[in-house]
Amino acid sequence: MPGENILIIGGGPAGLEAARGVADLGYKAILVEKRDRLGGTPDSANYAALTHGMRDASEVMAEIVAAVSGNPLVDIRLNATVTESSGAAGDFRVTLQENGGPATVEAGAIIVATGFDHFDPGRATQAYGYYEYDDVITLTDAEAMLKEKKFVKPSNGQAPDRVCFIQCVGSRDRQLGNEYCSKVCCGIASKQAIEIRQLLPQCKVFIFYIDMRMYGYWENEIYWPAQEKYKVQYIRGVISEIVKKGDRLMIRGEDTTMNRPMEVAMDIVILSVGMEPSKGTKEIARILGLAQNKYGFIDPAHGSLDTVSTSVEGVFVAGAAAGPKDLDDTMGMAGAAAMKAAALVRRKSKAPSPLSSPPVGERVG
Amino acid sequence: MATGTGTGASSAGLARATPGGSVERGAEPPFEEKLRLFNEVTQDLRFPDYLYGCYECGICVAVCPSARFYDFSPRRIAQAVAREDVELVYEQMNRDVWECSQCFSCLRCPRQNNPGGIVTIMREVAVKNGLHSAKEALEGYSRIIYKIMSTGTQVSPDMIRPDAFPDWGPTAKETADNLEVWRRAMPPETMHTTSSSWEVDDKTLTELYLIWHLTGVLDMIKTLDESLHMILVDVMEEKLEEAGYPLGG
Repeated sequence: MPGENILIIGGGPAGLEAARGVADLGYKAILVEKRDRLGGTPDSANYAALTHGMRDASEVMAEIVAAVSGNPLVDIRLNATVTESSGAAGDFRVTLQENGGPATVEAGAIIVATGFDHFDPGRATQAYGYYEYDDVITLTDAEAMLKEKKFVKPSNGQAPDRVCFIQCVGSRDRQLGNEYCSKVCCGIASKQAIEIRQLLPQCKVFIFYIDMRMYGYWENEIYWPAQEKYKVQYIRGVISEIVKKGDRLMIRGEDTTMNRPMEVAMDIVILSVGMEPSKGTKEIARILGLAQNKYGFIDPAHGSLDTVSTSVEGVFVAGAAAGPKDLDDTMGMAGAAAMKAAALVRRKSKAPSPLSSPPVGERVG
Repeated sequence: MATGTGTGASSAGLARATPGGSVERGAEPPFEEKLRLFNEVTQDLRFPDYLYGCYECGICVAVCPSARFYDFSPRRIAQAVAREDVELVYEQMNRDVWECSQCFSCLRCPRQNNPGGIVTIMREVAVKNGLHSAKEALEGYSRIIYKIMSTGTQVSPDMIRPDAFPDWGPTAKETADNLEVWRRAMPPETMHTTSSSWEVDDKTLTELYLIWHLTGVLDMIKTLDESLHMILVDVMEEKLEEAGYPLGG
């Protein structure tokens, strides 16, 4: 029954996990992805090891993709975008733009899993010279190099002696309009610092931070080992500017806990860019009429006790489309969204649960 | 054991400008010498157990009695070595470490660091290498060192002299002037000694001298105070030779 279909927009971790959940509950998932392959940002942005746990990102994503590929209850639509939507909970009609042209799908509920974009350090400030200096890079640029197990100065291909991270680039900044904390960058920078030290034991690695936000087990699994075992230097104080000096970069800031100004040379500066709502997230929010917060993320309608319901009945959100999220948060939200979407279509269609009759095939449960 | 500082020899010091400035009065040694002293600190066997990592919470300073009276911060001690700041560690060895009262209140560090222990190591390195600050800090203690090392007892009655303890007021002078009388007037058994707190027998004394000699304490004294060393050698020489451990030279 079309009213029991659940449309999932976005083929990253949140969308994939939601699709798996929906199929496991015995409902049909229509998974729409604008790229020509599944895997989302961990795939498109070349993530190396995942924070935390340090598992290989491609390996993990392949597992998550395998859980939905070939599943008869998951209808995967690649190279497809949502252009229009009408109807209401239990009876949405959504227009897709696919390779072959427009197509209409019917669904009882929608899960939005359109994710985030990495903050573009050239968007509002040139203080760090991201587009000016080859050796000023972002977490994602570093991640791609670390995935290849080759970490070098982009300017000359040589191994660096000194590398630093600048935290909170594009986050926690009233002037940029992003006042929120992006939540994962402290962990990712620390994880990358460990990877750099593993690859280049002679290279000194510094992290300049405002606060280290290593909640839960990130503290003992990433932060402490980075500092104690890998001798990563954590300096409280944010860099004000980067100036090129010879073939190195001079960074300027204050070592706040040692109460002194500092000006030191680095070979590579990594900007720990945060999260912003993706273009897709803003576009889908507009098409579906979802309330967004002032930053453009989709606002969960009921706060902490329900992180996945939106302002529109029958539309749910999972993952970083609803604000900065780590993978743990994302997977948890995806499961919750699948459960709530399934419950909604079941209620709306007033049909008995597919689970009330004996399951057909081994996918159920 | 692979410990040490992990990131190699050259300084990772982030800045050279330090408020307070340098206080040592000896000639400023070259960087290589400071690095050698730094490495002596970080390569100490105890060091890996004294410094894990510091997140600069400041609890060590909050509980530190010295921090209330001096410009002393156990946090800065931990941070300076953690940051491999060779210059700052050298400065601290010449000043800060002598302001620590070694009470180890800082052991309540949630990361289980031991800033007081790092101070212990830094002091030992300062003493072993005859740093000016070590000489200066121990100057006032030469009489006590002499007394402990030569007699095996601590403060003796004849050390109570107004010139040594001006802060004791007029009583110190009165006591010193009439020491014999005061000692005889005391009810407990004092053996009427004034130059040691109690009688120490020869066997004990010989064993003590052996310990000072064999553990290198005598040599350490030599780096700090040559005349005190000469006096001590005079006192100990005969007994050590009888015990079969000539001091030589």
